[in-house]
Amino acid sequence: MTQNHCATEDQQGFKLVRVSGEVDLSWSQRLRKTILDALATGRPVAVDLSQVTYIDSSGIAALVEGFQNARGKGQRFNLVAVSKPVHAVLELARLDRVFPIFANLDEANK
Amino acid sequence: MTLPTAVSARDRSIGAEEVGILADFSHAFAATLDIDETLRRAVAQIAEYMNAEAAAVFLVDEDGSSVCRASAGPVDVVGLRVERGKGIVGRAIAENRVQLVRDTTRDPDFLGNQRGFLSRSILSAPLDSANGPIGALQVLNKRDGALFDTHDADVLRLLAVPTALALNNARLSRELVEQNRIKREFQLARQMQKTLLPPRRRDLPIVAMNLPAREISGDFYDYFEVDDGRIAFCVGDVAGKGMDAALLMVRASSCLRWAGKDGATPGVWLSRVNQELCETVTRGMFVCALVGYLDRNTSQIELASAGFPPLLLYRDGRFREIPADGPPLGILKDTGYDAQRLALAGGSLYAFSDGVTDVRGPDRRPIGMDGVRDLIKRVAGVSPRARVRAMVGHLRKLALADDTTLMLLADDDAPTRYLGGMGGLSDPQNLCLVRRAVSDIVVGLGFNETERQRLVLSVDEAVANVIRHAYGGSIDGRVELSFWLDPGAVRFELRDFASPVDATRIRPRDLSECRPGGLGINLIDSVMDEWTFLRPDGGGNLLRMVKRLP
Repeated sequence: MTQNHCATEDQQGFKLVRVSGEVDLSWSQRLRKTILDALATGRPVAVDLSQVTYIDSSGIAALVEGFQNARGKGQRFNLVAVSKPVHAVLELARLDRVFPIFANLDEANK
Repeated sequence: MTLPTAVSARDRSIGAEEVGILADFSHAFAATLDIDETLRRAVAQIAEYMNAEAAAVFLVDEDGSSVCRASAGPVDVVGLRVERGKGIVGRAIAENRVQLVRDTTRDPDFLGNQRGFLSRSILSAPLDSANGPIGALQVLNKRDGALFDTHDADVLRLLAVPTALALNNARLSRELVEQNRIKREFQLARQMQKTLLPPRRRDLPIVAMNLPAREISGDFYDYFEVDDGRIAFCVGDVAGKGMDAALLMVRASSCLRWAGKDGATPGVWLSRVNQELCETVTRGMFVCALVGYLDRNTSQIELASAGFPPLLLYRDGRFREIPADGPPLGILKDTGYDAQRLALAGGSLYAFSDGVTDVRGPDRRPIGMDGVRDLIKRVAGVSPRARVRAMVGHLRKLALADDTTLMLLADDDAPTRYLGGMGGLSDPQNLCLVRRAVSDIVVGLGFNETERQRLVLSVDEAVANVIRHAYGGSIDGRVELSFWLDPGAVRFELRDFASPVDATRIRPRDLSECRPGGLGINLIDSVMDEWTFLRPDGGGNLLRMVKRLP
């Protein structure tokens, strides 16, 4: 099982938030804070979801909050490498067309 | 039939005397089926009547030669063999004409004296049948030293008629006896096959019936209990319909029973039988089979199919088709078979050999899967046994083209089953345990992976809502979760002991409105077929969520 984890790094001009494991109520607040902190830098933010095996509505809420926060400031907020389980939940919540989703950072930079 | 021209005519016509012996002959032949005894008496009578020293009857053998079957006279020539076309007998048969040889020394075909008997004058008449001569009657040497004449030839020709008829009758009756013997043996084989089928078990939720297209069947079925209490079942269909198929059926059915005794998974079960049949079965013969287990406690079925026709699960007026997932047994060594799981849950699982779909309807075309579905719908609503009987009764009225076997698994007794449950504190750290539990419960119910993931998500969301809203984030509230299998649906019940929530205020929000919160109930609403808040005795809330089985 992948360990629940999230961390920010600088990648190709983005603040990239890498997330792994099962995102649920037990630590989604940590993800929320990490995303908001990344946005606070004013730089374009991307969230890498390739290692996420499960996400619940509290994790989705953290992403939605980040997206709205960025949109308010005209800041870029992208999801990259969205794993199948995450995509399935985004689809179920009809959010798959709301977020700007890219296969990787290169695509996001085009 | 014309007499040889060599015969000189002496004017003596067939009279009352001849009619008398003819009548005696016909009577004697008609009264007996013991042809050898009758022939012995007949040749003695012929010799006597024709005033001959000896008489004999020859019958054509399979190789075309003729063998003496009965003789009268000083020398017993029974068993004497004359090659095809040889001698006076051979000539009578080959030409299908009476042969009158007044002086044997002057006939080039005369084979010489046999077994010390001096033949001077010979008369030989063919025994005719619809398929040509089957033998010949022969008389030798007039007792008074005179020569045979054309009158004698006429008489012998006349006597040959009832003799030939009697021989024909005897042959037909022998064939009839043989046919009856084969029929009896087929009946015995059928009875033996029937003993291989299990007896009716009113205590088991399985009914099966077999209608052979001929005396014997290439189909079979079996069911029995394994040590852990599950009910094992198998249905098979051997390629072909004859005795070879029936023998393979006997082999395959015992093999299947043996291989499923220890409760091995359906995949292993089929692989074992496949291996065994591949090693021993004649090339070109194979067996389609379905094996599985029904766990009555959970109402779950685990099964694997080797080229067996698709199964039909009928529940709440809807059909689900379960296809085969491996090749038939006995074709390819080391074949692997995957097991499928599904929940019976008040439904009926119909397994049937292709004889059922191949039955010809009134339009003379096979009724196919659609015809079977119609039939299943038509018989719905009565007991499983009555349903199978009604279906078989209906199939019997149509034209059976092949062996036909029908098995029905239907557990009507206990519509609701407890699948499991868990209890714990309202700590978000426990959510992963909830997900594992739900994931384990729904795996055997026939949902696909996406559906299973959604069910896991929904229950997780429901528990998260209790933690966040009912208990306001405090982690020491009690949460209880239980899982139930109802007819056609799985039910999740989530109990908390917090203050009652206002159910009217909980409803899914408009999804077009993009905001972080309130998404959980929305997900539950789109995944579950039903969800309701109840006020249980003892306080708190009970969220009941129901998802129909696929």
